Amino acid sequence: MNNSDVVVRAVGLARRYKMGDTFVNALQGVDLEIARGEFVALVGPSGSGKSTVLNLIGGLDRPTEGEIWIDGTELSASDEKALTRHRRQHVGFVFQSFNLLPRLTAEENVALPLMFGGVPEKERQARARELLRQVGLAERLTHRPTQLSGGEQQRVAIARALVGQPALLLADEPTGNLDTTTGVEIMRLLKELNQERGLTLLVVTHDPEVAAFADRTVHLRDGQVAA
Amino acid sequence: MTLRDLTKTALSNLSRHRVRTLLSAIGVTVGILTIVTMVSLGIGVQREIVRAFTGVGLETIEVRPVTEERTVFNQFADPERTVIITPELVEEMRARDDVVYARPHIFLGNGGMRVYLRVADETMEVRVSEPVWWDGVDDPFAEPPEIVAGDDIGTDAHGDIVVSARTLDKLGYDEFEGLIGQEVALVLVTPRSERQEFPLRLVGVVDTHIGTSYPGAYIGVADAAALKSWWYNNPDLLENDGYDSLTVKAASLNDAAQIVALLEEREFQVESLKTTLDIVNRVLSIVQTMLGSVGGLALFVAAIGIANTMIMSVYERTREIGILKAVGASPGDIRRLFVVEAALIGLLGGVVGVIGGWLLGLGLNAGILAYLDYMDIPMRGTFFFVTGWLVAMALAFATVVGLLAGLYPAARAARLDPLEALRHE
Repeated sequence: MNNSDVVVRAVGLARRYKMGDTFVNALQGVDLEIARGEFVALVGPSGSGKSTVLNLIGGLDRPTEGEIWIDGTELSASDEKALTRHRRQHVGFVFQSFNLLPRLTAEENVALPLMFGGVPEKERQARARELLRQVGLAERLTHRPTQLSGGEQQRVAIARALVGQPALLLADEPTGNLDTTTGVEIMRLLKELNQERGLTLLVVTHDPEVAAFADRTVHLRDGQVAA
Repeated sequence: MTLRDLTKTALSNLSRHRVRTLLSAIGVTVGILTIVTMVSLGIGVQREIVRAFTGVGLETIEVRPVTEERTVFNQFADPERTVIITPELVEEMRARDDVVYARPHIFLGNGGMRVYLRVADETMEVRVSEPVWWDGVDDPFAEPPEIVAGDDIGTDAHGDIVVSARTLDKLGYDEFEGLIGQEVALVLVTPRSERQEFPLRLVGVVDTHIGTSYPGAYIGVADAAALKSWWYNNPDLLENDGYDSLTVKAASLNDAAQIVALLEEREFQVESLKTTLDIVNRVLSIVQTMLGSVGGLALFVAAIGIANTMIMSVYERTREIGILKAVGASPGDIRRLFVVEAALIGLLGGVVGVIGGWLLGLGLNAGILAYLDYMDIPMRGTFFFVTGWLVAMALAFATVVGLLAGLYPAARAARLDPLEALRHE
């Protein structure tokens, strides 16, 4: 595989947490490579370290050992500023609990990341509206999260994750708070984005049905990639 | 994040907790209100004094004779004058090019002197002085009295008298025109009932508005000298004791300084309004600083209140901070957001404080004027004066207080670990 076709390359990732006087190994020696346009599901029982991998790749956490390369740039050696830039430009997050700001409208929530990027307000609005239209919420622009259903909230969150045009979308149990039907709808939307726009996706889940949407599944067990 | 986005977001955040924002701002309001009220009082009084003094003219010099010091041997006698203001000195001053005018004064009513005014057959005791409004030295706040009949007189008048409407009213006259030009008399009576009448022509009647602090009759300095000369049985009064004071108005401040130096060299007691004004200004500045410090203390307490509010706010919004960081907010963005929120609380308190201080000043001013009026004190003016400079400084100060109070909470918010913040419930 050509280097430019690799979006994520993680080598020998380890993450140790200090709990009281003892250290807990959440991850040890994880290697992972995701190609451009690939849809990868990261599965495993709870406590297997799936979310830790996601957070490390997303720049929300730093590895104790190992290297992460995103689009050819090493992330693990990065300082706070570079991590912020990484979160702003390279990745988009979708969380299980949506994590929308309750006092902002759908449109404002989607436009929020662009504000930190210094994009002018007019352009922010235009891009937010376009994305909400793409996820099927053109009629819900001025609704606040509490006025939206769970599925709609997750669509807003996906639009927000995409607004900065990231190379990689990271989703942590995106269907965890949704009923089965809505969950399937969300996964179809993600699959659509992956197929039509060539979006690279890393989805963490414990649900085999969700994992079934992915091109490839990586299993984690006790902080290590299972065979 | 642009300043516009920062301000908009901060305002939106503050409006979420209106009551809390207002309560935190009240501390600043109290501090700024105190400062604005106190400093505006300082500025107002200073302005009134400067206005009064410049109305008189800073070029005005007061010259007084020097009397020997009181000792056990002369304490019951009138002290001898060692340096006196002679008619020659007055002439010398008047002859100078840099002198606009030189007016000598004789003070009546000292040494147990009682003066009576007789109009036709009616007599009453009056206070007599020169028409001081000519140079306004005795009372820089005094407004010149209004002439209701006849003419005004100057200090150089001779044989003429102006009487206040109030005095004539007490003597039973309510129509003054008919009295103009009539002969009246000032009467001196010694404790041993020696009596002397000084006939004078009534040339004018003045309304002194606020009666008690003004004399009832006014005469020129020559006539005053005649009265005093008879009372002390001192025919050569001006040669022996000289005038009681001399007002010299110089052409300019520089000239005034030179004349002051010249007269001090000749051992006169000299006061120029400029030196008095300098002292007044210095005292007022000190008072202003002290009063301003009281407000400063209030602001310090207010700053602690704001810091507390912001720390609570950071705690409550931990998860929100995590989300913002996850979608690309830098620690700097978060820090600025909280600092701007705190600064806006300060500014809000400042705006209310400035308006409150201004209104309080207006109210107090009205109260003081009503009191002065009630007490018959002839003093008018704006004692609380809010300048644009004061408003700008107060608002800037309030904002900086808020900003400083927000620094620590903002730093805490900026330091939050995004992952831990996102897990916060």
